[in-house]
Amino acid sequence: MKIFSLKIKSIVLLLAVITFTGCSEDYLEKTEEYNIDSENYFNSEEDYYNALIGVYDVLQSTYVNVLLGEIASDNTLSGGESATDVIGFQQVDEMSHTPINDNLDDVWDWNFAGVQRANYILEFEEKTEFEGKDMIIAETRFLRAYFTFELMKWFGPIPIKGDERFVIGDETSIPRASREEVYNQIETDLQYAIDNLEYTAPQVGRVTKGAAMALKGKVHLYQDEFPEAANVLTTLINEGPYALSDFETLFEQEGENNEESVFEVQYTGEEGAGFDCLQCSEGNVAVGFQGIRNYSGPLFESGFSFNVPTQEAYGMFAADDIRRDLSILDIEAWAAETGATYAEGYKHTGYFNRKYLPRKNDNMGDANLTQPNNYRAIRYADVLLMAAEALNRGGIDDELARTYLNEVRERAGLREVENSGDALTEIIYQERRKELVGEGHRFFDLVRTGRAAANIDGFTAGKNEVFPIPLEEIEFSQGNWEQNPGY
Amino acid sequence: MKKFLCSILLLFGGFFSMHAQTFTVEGNVTDENNMPLLGVNVLVKGESRGTTTDFDGNFSISGLSEENVLVLSYVGFETREVPITGESFLNIVLTSDAAALEEVVVIGYGTQQRKDITGAVSVVSNETIEEMKPVRLEQALQGTAAGVNVTPSSGAPGAGININIRGVASNSVNGPLVLIDGYQGDLGTLNPNDVESISILKDAQAAIYGIAGANGVVLITTKSGKKNMAPTIQYDTYIGMQETSRQIPLLNGREYALLLNESYANNGQALPFPDLSEIGEGTDFQDEIFETSPIINHNVTLTGGSEKVTYSIGASHLNQEGIIGRDKSDYQRNSARFNIGIDISDEFKLQANSIYTSIDRRSINENGLGSVLFNALNIDPTYAIDQEDLNGRLGNEIINPIAQIENTFNDYTLSKLNGSFSLEYTPIEELTFTSRIGYNVSNSKGKDFAPIIDYGPGKVFNTPRSTVNQNRINDNSYTYDLFGTYENTFDDTHHVTGTAGMTVIRDWGDGLFATGYDVPNNSWEFADISLTTGTNDGINNGAYKYDIRKLSFFGRLQYDFQGKYLVSGMLRRDSSTRFSPDNRVGTFPSFTAGWILSEEDFLASSEVISFLKLRGSFGILGNDEAGNAQFYRSLLNGEATYVFGGNLVNGTAPGVIANPASGWEESEKTNIGLDLRLFDGKVDISADVFREDRKDLLVAAIPVSGILGGGAPGAGAPTINAGTTRNEGVEFAIKYRDYISDDFNYNISYNATFLNNEVTAINGAEFIPGGQFGVGQPQPSRFEPGFPMGYFYGYKTNGIFQNQAEVDAHPAQDALAAPAAPGDLRYVDVNGDGVITPDDRTNIGDPIPTATMGLNINLNYKNFDFTAYGYASLGNDMVRNYERSQPNVNRHAYVMERWRGEGTSTEVPRLTTGATSNRVLSEFYVEDASYLRIQNVQLGYTLPETMLSAVGIQSLRFYAAVNNLYTFTDYKGFDPAASTGEAIGGGIDYGFYPVPRIYMAGLNLKF
Repeated sequence: MKIFSLKIKSIVLLLAVITFTGCSEDYLEKTEEYNIDSENYFNSEEDYYNALIGVYDVLQSTYVNVLLGEIASDNTLSGGESATDVIGFQQVDEMSHTPINDNLDDVWDWNFAGVQRANYILEFEEKTEFEGKDMIIAETRFLRAYFTFELMKWFGPIPIKGDERFVIGDETSIPRASREEVYNQIETDLQYAIDNLEYTAPQVGRVTKGAAMALKGKVHLYQDEFPEAANVLTTLINEGPYALSDFETLFEQEGENNEESVFEVQYTGEEGAGFDCLQCSEGNVAVGFQGIRNYSGPLFESGFSFNVPTQEAYGMFAADDIRRDLSILDIEAWAAETGATYAEGYKHTGYFNRKYLPRKNDNMGDANLTQPNNYRAIRYADVLLMAAEALNRGGIDDELARTYLNEVRERAGLREVENSGDALTEIIYQERRKELVGEGHRFFDLVRTGRAAANIDGFTAGKNEVFPIPLEEIEFSQGNWEQNPGY
Repeated sequence: MKKFLCSILLLFGGFFSMHAQTFTVEGNVTDENNMPLLGVNVLVKGESRGTTTDFDGNFSISGLSEENVLVLSYVGFETREVPITGESFLNIVLTSDAAALEEVVVIGYGTQQRKDITGAVSVVSNETIEEMKPVRLEQALQGTAAGVNVTPSSGAPGAGININIRGVASNSVNGPLVLIDGYQGDLGTLNPNDVESISILKDAQAAIYGIAGANGVVLITTKSGKKNMAPTIQYDTYIGMQETSRQIPLLNGREYALLLNESYANNGQALPFPDLSEIGEGTDFQDEIFETSPIINHNVTLTGGSEKVTYSIGASHLNQEGIIGRDKSDYQRNSARFNIGIDISDEFKLQANSIYTSIDRRSINENGLGSVLFNALNIDPTYAIDQEDLNGRLGNEIINPIAQIENTFNDYTLSKLNGSFSLEYTPIEELTFTSRIGYNVSNSKGKDFAPIIDYGPGKVFNTPRSTVNQNRINDNSYTYDLFGTYENTFDDTHHVTGTAGMTVIRDWGDGLFATGYDVPNNSWEFADISLTTGTNDGINNGAYKYDIRKLSFFGRLQYDFQGKYLVSGMLRRDSSTRFSPDNRVGTFPSFTAGWILSEEDFLASSEVISFLKLRGSFGILGNDEAGNAQFYRSLLNGEATYVFGGNLVNGTAPGVIANPASGWEESEKTNIGLDLRLFDGKVDISADVFREDRKDLLVAAIPVSGILGGGAPGAGAPTINAGTTRNEGVEFAIKYRDYISDDFNYNISYNATFLNNEVTAINGAEFIPGGQFGVGQPQPSRFEPGFPMGYFYGYKTNGIFQNQAEVDAHPAQDALAAPAAPGDLRYVDVNGDGVITPDDRTNIGDPIPTATMGLNINLNYKNFDFTAYGYASLGNDMVRNYERSQPNVNRHAYVMERWRGEGTSTEVPRLTTGATSNRVLSEFYVEDASYLRIQNVQLGYTLPETMLSAVGIQSLRFYAAVNNLYTFTDYKGFDPAASTGEAIGGGIDYGFYPVPRIYMAGLNLKF
C-alpha cells in the first residue's frame, strides 16, 4: 500500500494540475491560430497595398457585366448551346428576364463585393499612416466608384453606406439611396482619384489619373451633364498621354495596355479555374463563353458560342471600314478560307465577336474559363467619342466634336464628316456603336440616350431601362428595398 | 461552479487513513454447485483493505475484529455480506445473481441498468454487428435502432455515411456526437469487429453531453476482456464478390437514334440519323463501367483476464474494390488495437485502450454533373466503347466515362491513432472519481494527378497542362474528463447517485496544400511535386490552421425510491470558442423521470406483464457545430489575386463573412415512453413519443444579401442562427423471442419510426435556398416556415396537353421558358392569377421519410442459424437530376412512353430539340423514393463441439451471406437510399454510385 500511496500522491498532484489548468477560463482564450483577422489588419503600408489587390481582384468578375450587357443590346444574340443553356443569358436577350436570374444576381453580388472590399480599406483609412497612402486611397476610391457606377447602370440607385462595410442587418435597415446620392458619391470618389493620381501608374494595370478622368466624364455623360463631361474629357484629351493605336492589333495580345488603353481590366491564363467559382478565375470568362463552338482551326480556340453578333450588326459597317472584319468574324468565310471546322450553337448567326474571341494560347484548364484577353474597359477612342458627344449634345462646340469624331473615323479608314447639330449627334451615336461593338457599352448607351425601346426587340420603356433587383435580395431586405418598376 | 469543482480535488486527499486490529480469518468461497470461485473480491466493509480468492477459492485476511463485516463480490453473483463472529474459517456460498446479469447500458459519465433507464436509449449489441457483417459500423444502425436513419452518400468504398437521429437536424454537420469509450471520435474509421456495444441516446438524457449532444449521442464501447477469463483467440474472416444493385434502363442505340430523329423532326430540324438501318444495339456504357469486384476482411482478437487484469488485443484488415473502376475506387482499412484494464489496488483502476487505423482510398468523380455515372447515363449509345465526342454533339460536359475512369488518378491515406486512458479512484465504496483523457491524432495525405488530356474541342475536362495536387492534413483532439460519482442507498429505499465534473475538449490541426505543374511523362508514376518541372506565376500552395476549445461543467443527480420511482436532473454549463467571447457560454438543464409499474403490488403478481416502466424526459441541449471553425470573425483567407505588369500579384482579402452575433443552437427535447415485457420477457416492447424544437439553428454558408460581399473570390456566406424546426414523432420497437427447445429458438424484432418535420420560424429571411437542379436553374430546395426542412420548390403538374385546344384553354406558360404546345407538361396555376409564372411554384415533395422501419429475424435450429435484416423507408422523395438537358444525350427508357399525339401519354412529355418549359423543376422530376431493402441475409452452420474440442477449438462456424440482396422501390434511379446528407439540398440525385450487392462467405473461429 505504501508503494501505491507514493504513486497515488503523484497522480493526485497530476490531476490537480490538470484540473486547475482546466478550471481557468483562460483556457478558452489561449487558442493557437491566426492572430490576424479582418478586424486587426492594416498595420503597415504593405497591408493596405495587399488589401488594394483584393479590390482589384473583383474587377475580373465584371466580365459578366460586359458579356451580359452586350447580349442585352441589339448588337448580339444570346447563343450558347440550346434555348436553356445559361437561361439567365437567354432571358436577358429576349428581354423576358425576371427578378429570378442567376446571372443578374452575379452582377449584383460581384459588384457589391468590390464595393465591400473597397470600403474595407476606407473603414480603416485612418489606422496607420505612411507615405503614399493618398495614392492607395485614391485607387480604392476609383474602384469603389467603378463598381458603384456599374451597379447604378444595371439596377438604378442602390443602397450606399459611406466609408464603411455593410454588416449583417444593414440589408433591412439601409434603404436604396437616391440617384443624386449615388452619383454624388461616385463623382466625389473620382475627383479624389483625379487629385491624387498621376497619368502613369507605378505598375501596369493600376488606376491612373486618366482613368479617373475618363470615368468621371462618362458618369457626367450618363447624367446628361454635358459641360462637366466635356470639361473633364477635353482636359484629358489635351493633357493626357493617350493616342489611338493600330486597330489591326488593338484586340490582340500585343495590343494590351498600349497607348490607347485608358483603363484596362487585367487577365491572365496562368492560373486554373472551375465552374464552381467563375469570379475566382484570373482569366476572362466572357472570352471562353463567346468562343466558337467546337472550333478547330487556326488562330482561335473554341468556346461556348454565346453573344453572337447579329447580321444587322455586321451589316452596319461599310465594306471598307477596317473595323468590320476585325470586330466581327464571319465564320463561314473564315472556315472557307482556312479550313477551320466548328459547330453551330443556339441562335447561330454565322458571326462571332472577334474582339474577344479566345486566341490560341497555353492557358491553364479549364481553358474556357482562363482566357487571358484583357478587357479594354475605357479606350481612348471611347474618350474621344464621349467628348464629341458631350460637346455636340451640350451645344458647346460642334467643330471640336467633329475633330474628335473624325479622329476615330480616320483610323477606321473612313472619310471625315462635316455635319453639325442633330445630324452630327446621330453620326456620333452610329460611330460609337461601330467603334465599340462587342465591348458591352451599347445597351447602356441606348438607355441613357432614350433610344433603347426603338432599337431593342422586346424592350419595354419605363421598365427595361434597369434590370430587376434579384428576387433573393428583395427577400433579404424584407421590404426595405423596393423592386424596380415593372418587375 | 469553479470553486465546487476544484474542491472535488480536496476530497482526493481524504483517503490516507489506516487503523490496526486483532485476529486473522481464512475462508473458502464456492458457487451453488460447490465449485470453488477464483478471484472473488473479499473486502472489509467500510475499509479499503481486502483480498481476492485464489485458484481453490481460498482467502485469508488478517487484523479482523468482531465488529467487522466481510463483503464478497464477484461478477455475475449476488454480493454477500458476512459478519465476523469469531470463527476462524468460513465456508461461503455465493448465489448467482439474475439481476446482475441484467443488461448494463452506458449512458454517459456512467452506466445504468437497463431497467432503471429513464431516457430513450437504443442499444445495438455486438451480436447484431456480428450478424449484419457491416463493412462500416454505421450500417449496423440501419433498421436495428428505432429512430435512427442511416443514409450512405454513395456506394463507393469508404464513402461517407450520414446518420440522423430522430429526423434531420440543422446542417451538413447534422450527425450525432460519437463517443468511443468516452472520448469524441468518428464512426467512419472504426472497425465494426472492435465494438462491444453501441448505445444511442435519443432524448434529453443526452443533455449530460451538452455540447454537440443536440443531434443525439452515439456511445461506443470497444471490446475488452473479462476478469478470470482464459485467453481466447477469435478469428473472423469473409470474402465476398460485389456487384451493382441496379442499372438504370436506358435507350439502346437503335431506340436512341429513333427518338433523336423524332425530337429533331418535332422542331423542324434535319434528322441526325437519316439512315437507321446500320444502327444496332450500340454500346451499353453501364455494362462497361460496372464490374464485379472483390471484398475481403480478416479480423483477429485475443481476449482474456486474470484477477486484476483484463485485456483485449486485436487487428484487422479490409480490402474493398469499387464496382466502378475497381482499384480506381477502392478502400483498404487496417487496424490494430488494445484494451487493457488493471486493478492497481482496491481503490485504483486503470483502463487504457488505443486503436490505430490506417486507411487507403481512391475515388472517382461522383454524384454531379460530369461524374462517371452521369456520363455513362448521358453518352450517346451509338458511340463505340473507346469513342470520344470529338464533334461536340453532347455539349461541353459529357465525355466517355471509360476514358474518364482511365484518366482518374488519386490516392488518399489516413493514419489515425486514438484511444483513452482512464483512472478510477474509489476511496470509499460509495464514491468514485474518474479522470480520463481521450486522444485522437490523425494524419492524412492526399494526391491527385490530372494528366494532359483532350477529350475534344471545348470539353470542360480537358487539361492542357498536367498538374499534381498534394495535401497533408493533421487533425488532433483530446477530451479530458474529471468527474466524481457518489452512489448510496439510504434506509434500503432511497437510492441516490450524484455525478459532478468537468470536460475539456480541444480540437486543433492544420492543413497544407500544394500544386506541381508539368508531370514528367504525363504519368502517375511520376506524379509528385518533387518531380514536376513546371513553374507558374500563381500561388501554388495553401494552408489552414484551427484550434477550437470547449470547457464544460456538469452535475447530475439521480434518485429512486424503492427502485420504483426514478427521477434525475442535470445541469450543464458549456463554453465554446466557436462563438465570440460574449456569446460563448450556454447553460443546459434537463430532467427525467420513470415509474416501474411492475414493481407495484398490483402488477407484481401479474403473469402476463413481467416488466412495465413509464418514463419521460425534458431538456435543452446545445450545439456549436456547423462546419466552420469560428463563426464570429472573418479570417484573411479570401482570394486577392490580380495582374499587375503582366504578372500575378497576390494580396489579402477577408474570407467567409463574420457573424459576431452567432450563438448556441438549442434543442428542446421532450420524450414520453414506456418499456413493457410480457410473458417472462418473450415479448419486449418499447414505445416513445417525442418532440424536438430546434431553436436558433446554426446554418453554415447561409445565403445573405450580396451587399455584404459574400460573392467575392474566396469569400463565403456566414454561419447564422437561422431559424427553428420541429421534429415530432413516434417510435415503436417490439421483439419476440421464443425458446422452443434446445434445438430450435428464434426471435423477431420490428421497429418503426414515424416522423414529421416542419420549419416553424426563420430569422431574417423568408426562406433559405439550397441544392442544385439542372444547369442555371433556381435552387430547388428550401428552408421555409410551414414546410418540411429542405422541401422541393417547383411546379405542380396536371398531365400533358393533348391538343392545341387544351393549350389555349390553360393559362399561358410562356414565362417559364417557352410557350406551351401539345405534348408539353401542363402546370397548375397554383395562385390562380390566370398565368403560369415562377410564383406558381410550391411544395412538390421533400426528402425526409415519413416512416422508417426495420424488421429483423433470427432463427437457430440445431447447429444452423439464419438471420435476415430488412429496412424500409416510406415517404421520402428524390429529385431526378441525372438527365442532362441537352438535345443529343441518351435518355432513360421511360421516354419510350412519351407523348406522340393525342391520347398517347399523360405523363411523359413530347420529345423536341426546341425550347420548351418542360425542363423546369416540377413534379415530373420528383419521384417517390420509398423503398424496402433486404439488407442482409445470412445462413450459418456451427460445427458440433464434440468434433472440435479434441483439436482445442472452442467453436467454428461457417456462413454465407448477402448484403443488399434486393431493394423494392418504384424509384427510377440507382439508389433510393442515397443522400448527400445536406439538410437543405438533400435528396437530389445526380446518379448516385449505387451501394453494391455483396455475396460473401466466411468463418468465425474461436480457440
